[in-house]
Amino acid sequence: MITITNIRYHSLTIDTLTVPPGITSVVGPNGSGKTTLLKLCAGIAIPDAGQIHIDGVSPRETEMGWVNEFPDKNILFSRVSDEIASALRFCHTPCRDTDEAVRRIANTLSIGHLLSREMREISGGEKMLVALAAAVVNSPKLLVLDEYDSHLDTAHCDHMETVIRESGASYVIRCTQQMETAAHSDHLLFVERGMVKYAGTPETVFTSLSGTPFYPLSWRCRV
Amino acid sequence: MAVPGMRLVLDGVTVERGIWSLVACGTFSEGIHLVTGLVGSGKSTLALLMAGLCPPVRGTVVREGIKNMMLSTQFPEFHITGLSVAEECASWGLDTDTVLRSARLEISGNMSPFSLSRGELKRLHFACVLSRQYDLLLLDEPFSSLDCGEKERLCRDLTSRDQGITVVFTHEQSAFPRVDRLWEIAGGELCDLGRVPDSILRWQYAPALIKRLVGAGRCPFNLTMDEIQEAACRMHGYD
Repeated sequence: MITITNIRYHSLTIDTLTVPPGITSVVGPNGSGKTTLLKLCAGIAIPDAGQIHIDGVSPRETEMGWVNEFPDKNILFSRVSDEIASALRFCHTPCRDTDEAVRRIANTLSIGHLLSREMREISGGEKMLVALAAAVVNSPKLLVLDEYDSHLDTAHCDHMETVIRESGASYVIRCTQQMETAAHSDHLLFVERGMVKYAGTPETVFTSLSGTPFYPLSWRCRV
Repeated sequence: MAVPGMRLVLDGVTVERGIWSLVACGTFSEGIHLVTGLVGSGKSTLALLMAGLCPPVRGTVVREGIKNMMLSTQFPEFHITGLSVAEECASWGLDTDTVLRSARLEISGNMSPFSLSRGELKRLHFACVLSRQYDLLLLDEPFSSLDCGEKERLCRDLTSRDQGITVVFTHEQSAFPRVDRLWEIAGGELCDLGRVPDSILRWQYAPALIKRLVGAGRCPFNLTMDEIQEAACRMHGYD
């Protein structure tokens, strides 16, 4: 379990929250604190007060993969293959194992043709696929995805959903503005004005959001 | 004042980068055009081409009767020139309070634009962009980062534009303005699918919900949420 207790950080206030294993989507209005919550869970930000534990361990002691909505902000290397290999090289994985893992994840994400390309040459959506490959290449326990789907087409979103499910990560926390994607999560959090207003299964949370723009269009249409 | 006969013509326009290429032919007349395509197909490149910011290796881009244009890129940060929200609004010649009200942002004009969330920054950006009229408005992934309510508002704002050429490049799955014409990039080529609604039937990479409606023989009359829901009602027998 991810347990969050008495968190105070910027505009975010959470007294108690428990996130079970599986895929958890975080939705809510712009500026409500979704990205802040993701950064705290990832250990990128440290709360002013309170604690977060992932199976009893702090986020910074947990193997974690992070995908920014704007992957340009996190790019370290100029070549795609080097970018994907970065997490493995940082922990001194043997070169042969690293190369094999990079090829495997690139093939899984159907981006093998990009491996020799320069990061600056590829499209925004392709950078997102490379960022996901770099995040999952070392099989993290926690995968944190910040609006990764906002620059992807439907086909790639569907494919990434499979990759995320099969990544082996015990916990996936993702922020999305696609309610159809959120509806396929195991758990859902609705954040508003710095607080988690609703938490539970997509069915229970979306029932509370019935009549708002956040209620999935396919559910409104019942198709 | 609308210019009669305003149109953007892509005449055998070709862009090449190594083994990747994009060929585009077609005429964009007044109204709202939706351009879709898979990741890496060349939507952003096409937007740059139309804006004259990416020279083609072959062919020409002709802007007939187009006196002014705006390209909104997918990353709002690229547009920021002010050190504060107030400076940013002033750079557009706009009053800060008016912009913030229009963007529904409860923030101080003294804040740095970069301290806003991405969605808030995009709202600020669109409040500035849509305060003016353009003969040619190019929007690259306008809905990314916006929350569901803001997507709906932007769709309404775009639908209400009654002049000029608006081209929306997007991967969005459920929020669309009322669209006049559909285009799709596939196999390195821009394809004119035609006017809506007939073109919806030919939309190869349509969102899953629209594909389900079309598959059930209930093609929506257009792509707004109301029209998609109306098609769903017909599907459930509420004709």
